[in-house]
Amino acid sequence: MPEKSLASKEYVYTIEDPFFSPFELQMGPQHPSTHGVLKLNLVLEGERIVDLEPTVGFLHRGLEKLAENLNYAQVLPLTDRLDYISAMNNNTGYALVVERLLGIEPPPRGKYLRTMVCELARIASHLLWLATHALDIGAMTVFLYCFRERERILDFFEKICGARLTVSYPRIGGVRLDVEEKVLEEIYNFVPQMYERIEEYEGLLSQNRIWLDRTVGVGVITAEEAIAYGLTGPSLRGSGVPYDIRKYFPYDAYPEVDFEVPVGKNGDTYDRYWCRLQEMRQSLRIIKQCIEKLPEGPVCTELSPDLDMPFYKRAFRAEAWGESTLIAFLNESIEIMPKGELYSAVEGAKGELGFYLVSDGTGRPYRLHIRAPSFIHISALPKLAKGAFVADLVAIIGTLDIVMGECDR
Amino acid sequence: MRLKPYYLLFRDLIGGLLITLRTFFQRPVTVQYPREKVTLYPSFRGRHALVRDPLTGEARCVACLKCVQVCPSRCIEVKYEVDAETGARKITSYTIEALRCIYCGYCEEVCPVGAIVLTEWFEYSVRKREDAFFTKEKLLQNWDQFVERYPEKVYTNKFWSLKGIPEVLKPAPKRESMCIKVKE
Repeated sequence: MPEKSLASKEYVYTIEDPFFSPFELQMGPQHPSTHGVLKLNLVLEGERIVDLEPTVGFLHRGLEKLAENLNYAQVLPLTDRLDYISAMNNNTGYALVVERLLGIEPPPRGKYLRTMVCELARIASHLLWLATHALDIGAMTVFLYCFRERERILDFFEKICGARLTVSYPRIGGVRLDVEEKVLEEIYNFVPQMYERIEEYEGLLSQNRIWLDRTVGVGVITAEEAIAYGLTGPSLRGSGVPYDIRKYFPYDAYPEVDFEVPVGKNGDTYDRYWCRLQEMRQSLRIIKQCIEKLPEGPVCTELSPDLDMPFYKRAFRAEAWGESTLIAFLNESIEIMPKGELYSAVEGAKGELGFYLVSDGTGRPYRLHIRAPSFIHISALPKLAKGAFVADLVAIIGTLDIVMGECDR
Repeated sequence: MRLKPYYLLFRDLIGGLLITLRTFFQRPVTVQYPREKVTLYPSFRGRHALVRDPLTGEARCVACLKCVQVCPSRCIEVKYEVDAETGARKITSYTIEALRCIYCGYCEEVCPVGAIVLTEWFEYSVRKREDAFFTKEKLLQNWDQFVERYPEKVYTNKFWSLKGIPEVLKPAPKRESMCIKVKE
């Protein structure tokens, strides 16, 4: 077998393996099980995958560049479009980095509400993952069941903030609106029902012999390798590393609620599946505690920047334009935001969602880099898929839980 | 082939089938869309509309251009004229490109008089591209259409109240109740 070479390159017939006859196959970008527009160049030998090269960028919208031309408040709706399945987590991540730059903190009620909606979004994301992952492998019923519950969560979002996917609900310095008591009650009643539903999914899948054959021992990655590849979130915890930003670098109301971090053992597809199901249970625990402990008070701090905040400080009047004024203006401190560089991360549904922000003092970010977990998880795909069957490849893509909107940004 | 206790007598498969069998006796949750429709909750962000002032019959907009400034996708265009005597501004055209709008709702949140709203109306697909450019007349017409179906007598929008600002610091139209009488 030749050494590492790209799928597009020609393979050289070597003496060691004279019967090696590679077959190139392009999977995607319109393949239903690539979860979006991921293209994979495969090199196959029979049914086995010899080499694999993911191609990304089909959904590139230039969000990071776009953010440089908008003010801090206007960037927030853009982050909805990153991981559009759990938009609450993205908004919270962006709001946190700006809050840390400004040195403000949301009021307690805002923190608790943000934690609650983040966990609801995590459940919605995991439900969609389970639905599509099971559908890829061949379990149709779970797909329908998961969408049934996901619909209810999206209904909650609509009641809370008026949108189902692109929510823009967490804001810099809190949340946009207060949640009505009636909706909180509905969410509280939803929690025990959801526990039963998760048991249903487990009853369908966890012991099913077809499911076990398709997932146990597929796409194995050890803990050291997973750390080396930069995997985070449930993909890393499936390998037995209990790394969770909610525990290690807590934000919002996470230090005040009680939850556990489920970890797997073998690092295969089944363990990651198990981890995510347990995580949904832990999320339900957090939601229940949040509603029980929810303090009274305002939901958004008064120090949060206005939506129509200017790019520059208007220190002079238009009539006073003159050479001397201009020079004075340039020499003056025009900062309306603190200068500096900042990295802060949240535990998104897929993994560590980081925002790296460079501020030059003006009203818009100088640079905003987004550390998207999906992009980094795709880089581990060749490692997981080499030597596997083509049929297992859809299971491996599914288990990494990638969203192309976040990967290509 | 691993042999586990639940493998015997197909216990795993039968257990799963029992779960699916249970749903036979549950009510379906699907909605047959064109015949039945889901209930939309207040503050759903749908088609744009300019609120018609019940007193004057004109738009409430005062042409402060805040929505133009705040729109992240820059889809609002406003032209206005200034009354020479009173200095009051009056819009001559107000255009929204619905194809570019991202429905974030910033415009209705930032508007000081509650003139622009995203109504709870989601069926507005168009056959021609030009129809998705909402002019001032079209936006006022949208409001009339929305109000016809609106069940209650007064209309108020959740997003009209600004976030995190105490009551005394709000501009006067926002401080009082923002309800609009839509029916006599």
